[in-house]
Amino acid sequence: MGLIEIRDVHKIYTGGEGEVHALKGISLEVQEGEFLAMMGPSGSGKSTLLSVMGALNPPSKGSMIIDEIDVYALDSERRADFRHEYIGFVFQQFQLIPYLTAMENVMLPLAISKRTDKEQREMAQLVLEKVGLGNKALRLPNQLSGGEQNRVAIARAIVNQPPIVFADEPTGSLDTKTGQEILELFQTLNNEGLTIIMVTHNTENLDWVQRVAFIRDGSLEKIQVCKPRLA
Amino acid sequence: MRLTNIAMGNLKRRKLKMGLLVLGLVIGVASIVGLFSITKAMQEDLANKIDEYGANMLIVPDNDNVSISFGGITVEGVGQVKDFDMSIIDKMRTIKNKETLNIISPKLLADDSINNKQALLVGVQFPEELRLKKWWQINWIAGKKAPTAGEVLVGSEAARVLELAPGNTVKIKGQDFQVAGTIQPTGSSENDSAIFIDLATLQKLTNRPQAVSLVEAAAFCYTCPIFEVTSQLQEKLPGTKVSALKESVQNRDDMVKKFGVFALAVSGIIMIIGALVVLISMLSSVKERTREIGVFRAIGYRKSHVIQIVLTEATILSLIGGIIGYLIGMSVASAFGSVVAQMDVKVVWQPLLALYAIGGAVVIGVVASAIPAWQATRLDPVEALRFI
Repeated sequence: MGLIEIRDVHKIYTGGEGEVHALKGISLEVQEGEFLAMMGPSGSGKSTLLSVMGALNPPSKGSMIIDEIDVYALDSERRADFRHEYIGFVFQQFQLIPYLTAMENVMLPLAISKRTDKEQREMAQLVLEKVGLGNKALRLPNQLSGGEQNRVAIARAIVNQPPIVFADEPTGSLDTKTGQEILELFQTLNNEGLTIIMVTHNTENLDWVQRVAFIRDGSLEKIQVCKPRLA
Repeated sequence: MRLTNIAMGNLKRRKLKMGLLVLGLVIGVASIVGLFSITKAMQEDLANKIDEYGANMLIVPDNDNVSISFGGITVEGVGQVKDFDMSIIDKMRTIKNKETLNIISPKLLADDSINNKQALLVGVQFPEELRLKKWWQINWIAGKKAPTAGEVLVGSEAARVLELAPGNTVKIKGQDFQVAGTIQPTGSSENDSAIFIDLATLQKLTNRPQAVSLVEAAAFCYTCPIFEVTSQLQEKLPGTKVSALKESVQNRDDMVKKFGVFALAVSGIIMIIGALVVLISMLSSVKERTREIGVFRAIGYRKSHVIQIVLTEATILSLIGGIIGYLIGMSVASAFGSVVAQMDVKVVWQPLLALYAIGGAVVIGVVASAIPAWQATRLDPVEALRFI
């Protein structure tokens, strides 16, 4: 049994233009320690699938099991606790809090834990060093480059030591070289045992992943096994 | 890091908006504090005026056939006035609210012909009478502060008509008395026309031992239940008529009460406006931070954590607004209270008012922020982050 199992997941949005069937019965299994990419054209449903798998967006039909927990059987507050413990997010535009320093942004998931301020700072400093920003901990996001902001976002996603990280187009707004550095960082983290699921539309990014799930029109078109490049 | 740091960080980032919100609260709290402290000062000033005025109760015999006037009673011939006994004072001290009776000043009325002119004699216990009539301005014989049994005080009109001055001797009921002082015009014809003499001496001279014609009394304070006291006295003293003072000072009391109601109404409006200012500002703040709140929810913040952040911000702002508002309100009231009240008032800094003002500001801020906080918890993190 995989770490993540989604079974016959449907997502239907009801709006002014009637019903939109964003996901049409997707089933997928992700193994622990896997680096999986989800690829597809715009509007294919890959980001919707990511939000469903990230315990943020209840499916209209179907279920998702993570670590033997039926995630959508939990109420919204317990699901928040679940996300806190199991999931880290790297958002498309990084979504750093502009008035908090890099260190404080990384400490955000720890702020609702029982850890002391000192413990939180030590943990945040450790992950900032891991992503190569140990010397920029006190800078505000607008004092960092795009790549550095992305690293802060990655540090925030892993500081709580979750088993899974979801990344939505993490290299979308970066130049090729910086994008490659970020993917190298992801691969390093993956080698340490972190399960990573990444949405991308860039085929070059597939060089770093173990499998890629192609999504088209809300359905899983195919799954392709890749041979990841060595960082 | 704690959620408070996030709230503080957001406040620092939106200095101008949050500054304007605090300014709104400061103006509101300052206005309320100013109005209340001026009203309070007016009430205290009035209380002092009433205390200064002296008597606020008069006890007279329940007798309809009288026509010479003193202290609200009128007698045709002073000799016809029905007397009390001195024991009335002991009876007065047995009422339920006896502790509020500050001064009891019994009086005996008599008349005599002095220099061929009819004069009203009022027997008083000088220490009590002088405590009661603090506002009397007396031209004393040099060094004198209170008359003895062989001395009298003469009202201004009586002194003029009888041509008496401090140090003169006057014959009353066949006995010589020295004028210890003359009382400057008081505005009361009764006091101005009378000669005040020691009560026991007058009782002896008129051969009416223990007799008392009327009693003036002062209940101690402005807020004491004066009408209850008069009612209790009336019950204990059958055959008397006990009345509470009805003077111009009570008209001022009405004015102060009206000002108090006005202050309350204005404060209510200011509180509603203040709450709306907080509500609108916090709603705007939550809307601007939609994505941010989406991030919080995505990384595992519970709804209660988001509420805590919003309410912490509201509490900090309200606390600052309350403290500054109180300080400004009190300062303005101290500086301009007399101008606003159109009377000489002394505004006193009150710690309890500070507590109410700051506490009230925080309660209003937090209550008004409850809706924005609730709205923040309803944000769908997926929508907030525009995942879809």
